[in-house]
Amino acid sequence: MKKILVANRGEIALRIMRTIRKMGIKSVAVYSEADRHSPHVLFADEAVCLGAAPSSQSYLNGDKIIAFCKELGVDGIHPGYGFLSENAEFAQKVTDAGIEFIGPTPEAMRIMGSKLAAKESVKKYNIPMVPGIDRAIEDVNLAIEVAYKIGYPVLIKASAGGGGKGMRIVEKADDMQEQMERAISEAKSSFGDGSVFLEKYVTSPRHIEVQVVADKYGNVIHGLERECSIQRRHQKVVEETPSAIVTPEMREKIGEAAVMVAKSCNYVSTGTVEFLVDDKLNFYFLEMNTRLQVEHPVSEMIIGLDLVEQQIRIARGEKLGITQDDIKPNGHAIELRVYAEDPLNNFLPSIGTLTKYEKPTGEGIRVDDGYEEGMTIPIYYDPMIAKLVVHGKTRTEAIQKMLQAIKEYKIEGVATTLPFGTFVFEHEAFFSGKFDTHFVKNYYTPEKIKEKQKANAEIAAMVAIKYWQERKKMLSPVEHKSTSWKRRLAH
Amino acid sequence: MVENKKTYMVKANEFVFTFDQEEIDKADFIKKNPTEFNLIRNNRSVNAKLLESDITGKEVMIEVDGETFELVIKDELDQMLDRMGFSTVSSKHIKEIKAPMPGLVLEVAVKEGQEVEEGEKILILEAMKMENSIMIHTNARIKRIAVSAGQAVDKGQVLVELE
Repeated sequence: MKKILVANRGEIALRIMRTIRKMGIKSVAVYSEADRHSPHVLFADEAVCLGAAPSSQSYLNGDKIIAFCKELGVDGIHPGYGFLSENAEFAQKVTDAGIEFIGPTPEAMRIMGSKLAAKESVKKYNIPMVPGIDRAIEDVNLAIEVAYKIGYPVLIKASAGGGGKGMRIVEKADDMQEQMERAISEAKSSFGDGSVFLEKYVTSPRHIEVQVVADKYGNVIHGLERECSIQRRHQKVVEETPSAIVTPEMREKIGEAAVMVAKSCNYVSTGTVEFLVDDKLNFYFLEMNTRLQVEHPVSEMIIGLDLVEQQIRIARGEKLGITQDDIKPNGHAIELRVYAEDPLNNFLPSIGTLTKYEKPTGEGIRVDDGYEEGMTIPIYYDPMIAKLVVHGKTRTEAIQKMLQAIKEYKIEGVATTLPFGTFVFEHEAFFSGKFDTHFVKNYYTPEKIKEKQKANAEIAAMVAIKYWQERKKMLSPVEHKSTSWKRRLAH
Repeated sequence: MVENKKTYMVKANEFVFTFDQEEIDKADFIKKNPTEFNLIRNNRSVNAKLLESDITGKEVMIEVDGETFELVIKDELDQMLDRMGFSTVSSKHIKEIKAPMPGLVLEVAVKEGQEVEEGEKILILEAMKMENSIMIHTNARIKRIAVSAGQAVDKGQVLVELE
């Protein structure tokens, strides 16, 4: 492979291109009219404009991307995450055009992209699954019957949904009919497919996922787990590895299960198998993400592998250079997603210009970002500014390093999730490891951040008065001794 | 007037504090160098750093615990001038609602001439794939609706004018 096009933007495009360059390969950036100034465009060897700012007219235009590949002699496409990364049709078109798609096969994407096909695929491997119905339904009466069997609370999920969209929790039988009807109509309007399925709702769930790496010769290894339970709006904000609750025995079991899920669909490249873990540490297969995950840097830090490099090596037909025995956790890594969102205002997007932007630096601190001071955050895309990732010898050390790094991260012009990060990493529940996906609901209120800001503001105010009074004292005698006309004479 | 009963009002970002001279004198405060300070307050040892200062020292920028604060000190005279109406701070009466962020107007939920109550939804603004309800924080009557559904707006653009 001599030239790779990165079909993405922002931090992930830049991060992928860094590895491409390290491997002596040329990189091609794509960009929308809103992103001409983005670091990923400036960093690339070649860059092509896809069109107007909205994703549908730029980053999602697969045909245009493939046409540019042919024109520029590109022999590989890396899709990053989001946009076209899990679009089997696009992967198929890329392959048909004689270009290497750096990721799984379209077939594996198709299987894992449908929750039902995924469940069907892993069935014969004895992977534990949350009790529920194994086919999509649109029949309300059948739903009531099934819910009775598995027991309330029950979760209704759109078959074609994802990212927390189209999900409903039903607490009791009385609400089932109405909730089902609303879920079906919502699924129809959002995804064009009204089928839903039902499963038991795990009340104190943790979200733990396993990194897998597979080559084209059937060799599959796992790169340990990531704990991703700290979420807002069903989306992750904090991830860490290893998980504070996973024992070596459980690690081995959940890792083996993940490898089997990958094998069930003849998976190739890096992927992530997501599990739900209940309060008794039982784990259940949720789904497989057939792409490079946002939070992959935490795994890279403790297993010492560049996962993008692995993807490229696998894509060009190399065998895995490592075995499962080579994967040993080294220390602890934590990631905080720095979003342009206001934690004091319900995590609403806070859009504007980065009037100040200074990153923390130091040993064990990694910032994957796609912005620079003076840049404006476009309204068209995901509001993530950066991923702040730290590595420490122990979990405690990593937490302390993270708190320090947050203090040194100076962002002005927009509100960010940095203060929320401080709240999480200082919280007793996070420190003890006893938390689940309801962390935000159970512990977080904006007032807690406000209180701290107020205490700091009060100190700043007292220091300001002291400073002002001292300055007055120092200035006064000078004014008495030399009047302005005397000073003028001296010149 | 007794000297140590002098009060100072300090604005620090969105917070406002009032101190008297006695509190300031009692504060356990040291100066490490011309721009770095340490204050022990409620047993908490906190470092503060002066980032910027105007010529008078009354308007400064100070960093505490990684957070930056813009501060304005008002002494007795400043406070008196404020009370006499020389203040530049305008009254709380809201005349218009502006877009808090750039985005796309999805839906306008009110009509011109309509009476609205505090907390009522005015319109829905879509930004970054999320729908945000723009609420009103006062009771008012809608004078004019300046935008329509499907329109893209900039941050600070007037959405609705109130009577």
